[in-house]
Amino acid sequence: MEKATAAGAAWRRPRRHGRIFWPGLWALYRRELHRYLRFAPESLGGALVSALLFLAVFSVAWPDRLQLQPGVPALSFLAPGIAAYALFHNAFENAAFGLLFDKLEGMLGDILMAPLTPAEILAGYVAAAASGGLIVGAVVLAGLALFVPLPLASLAAVAGFALLGALLFALLGFLTGLWAEKWDRYAVVDTFLVMPAALLSGSFFTPAILPEAGRLVLQANPVFYLIDGFRAGFTGVAEASALLGLAINAALAAALALLAWRLLRRGWKVQS
Amino acid sequence: MSGAMTDSSLSAPTAPPPRAAPLPPAPRQLGRVNWLGLWTLYLKEVRRFLNVVTQTVAAPVVTALLFLAIFTLALGRGTMQVHGLPYALFLAPGLIVMTMLQNAFANTSSSVLISKVQGNIVDVLMPPLSAFEFTLGFAAAGVTRGLLVGLATGLAMLPFVPLGLNDPIAVLWYAFNATLMLALLGLIGGIWAEKFDHIAAVTNFVVVPLSFLSGTFYSVERLPEAWSFVAHFNPFFYLIDGLRYGLVGVHDGDLALGAVLVGLVNLLLWALAYRMVASGYKLKP
Repeated sequence: MEKATAAGAAWRRPRRHGRIFWPGLWALYRRELHRYLRFAPESLGGALVSALLFLAVFSVAWPDRLQLQPGVPALSFLAPGIAAYALFHNAFENAAFGLLFDKLEGMLGDILMAPLTPAEILAGYVAAAASGGLIVGAVVLAGLALFVPLPLASLAAVAGFALLGALLFALLGFLTGLWAEKWDRYAVVDTFLVMPAALLSGSFFTPAILPEAGRLVLQANPVFYLIDGFRAGFTGVAEASALLGLAINAALAAALALLAWRLLRRGWKVQS
Repeated sequence: MSGAMTDSSLSAPTAPPPRAAPLPPAPRQLGRVNWLGLWTLYLKEVRRFLNVVTQTVAAPVVTALLFLAIFTLALGRGTMQVHGLPYALFLAPGLIVMTMLQNAFANTSSSVLISKVQGNIVDVLMPPLSAFEFTLGFAAAGVTRGLLVGLATGLAMLPFVPLGLNDPIAVLWYAFNATLMLALLGLIGGIWAEKFDHIAAVTNFVVVPLSFLSGTFYSVERLPEAWSFVAHFNPFFYLIDGLRYGLVGVHDGDLALGAVLVGLVNLLLWALAYRMVASGYKLKP
């Protein structure tokens, strides 16, 4: 009798862990990543086909031997931009979809109840969404590289800008999922913010062909620096300073992370 | 207790007023076409997409505008001309058709598939709607969404591109046939598909590529000889080409041939969709 009680008490003692509850974070990350991988045939197939379609359209419509930047064939200029767009958009979609789906289906309670801090929940969702985006980006890039010569000027720049962009868009997706109460809200953010910012960011043209006002707008768009830095990692030709781009986007990502963390800690729109 | 109840019910003086003997239950008499049912199905389908208008109308319009911007900036560079037109003016009708095609397809395919997956397709199969009315109701709503989105896209482009109305008859004929063709394809696809992966595959690997590569962005004359020949067997090419002629007056293919061909394709698709619905293929157990 004595023994049984003691064992029961030991069993009831709260589990101890350090500052970060790694097993919980890892479980959340794996759960989320597993969800994206289940939809991989659709998301990879769709992204790959639309990337190849863009490539096909431009290779038919652009005159031969066109160069947008000195020494860079037009299609080599284009391919990294298309891959970056696929990466960013998928990271956004993953994070927003995962969180909103859990919220609408009432499964978010299972995660809020688990011994995870707001920072761990945020990290789990965002890291998984960014990983899914990076996988899509890598596959699209590989598909495009079959048809377009792609040199590699700086692996560090490619990896750095890809990672930063994936995190930034995953954070944006997380905030969208937090704010949205129905799918239409997600469509609003996607249509009026993410797609314009990501498509009008110099993936398809250089600032040189824009009028003065357009160039200012372009240079105010953080995604322009992400795409430019990512592309320069391949071609070696940049339109803007890589350090400036890293600084702007790292600051923006930090601000979004802080905002998302504070909202989640307050239980904004997730706890009643 | 029971006595009291009997008592009170007996004491109630309200005997029911004499009524005419009720008619024996008889089926409702319908004419050749159940107009009320057809109209109800059509309204249900239209309200379904108007309920999420951001996704079904606003999003495609914004996407088309973004495409207009990036392709004009990337390809036009102010100087490029196609058939003597500035590139943006050549491109705009192509984007309008592309948007109409994709949305007409999305409307019927997603509606039928969601109803099947969620099981509420019986609510459309049980009412006294014939296969003809079923097919027409779904197809008409798909046409409505396609035309609405096409019109909205055209109006949204007007501030940037001086679109005209070169031949209203051609515009009507091709816009109607373009949306009907894809609405019927969507209906067929939605009936055939068993899960969302199937319809996503058809969208990604058939509808989007065909609407991208059939002359939306370039004149097919720019294609290599062999591909340009293949393009002339593609109904999507005639839809885009015909509507472009209707709006801005230039075309690559034979307009009369295209007008007849798209009508024939639609008759065939109608027959196929009708047969599928009438036989209950993948709709009824």
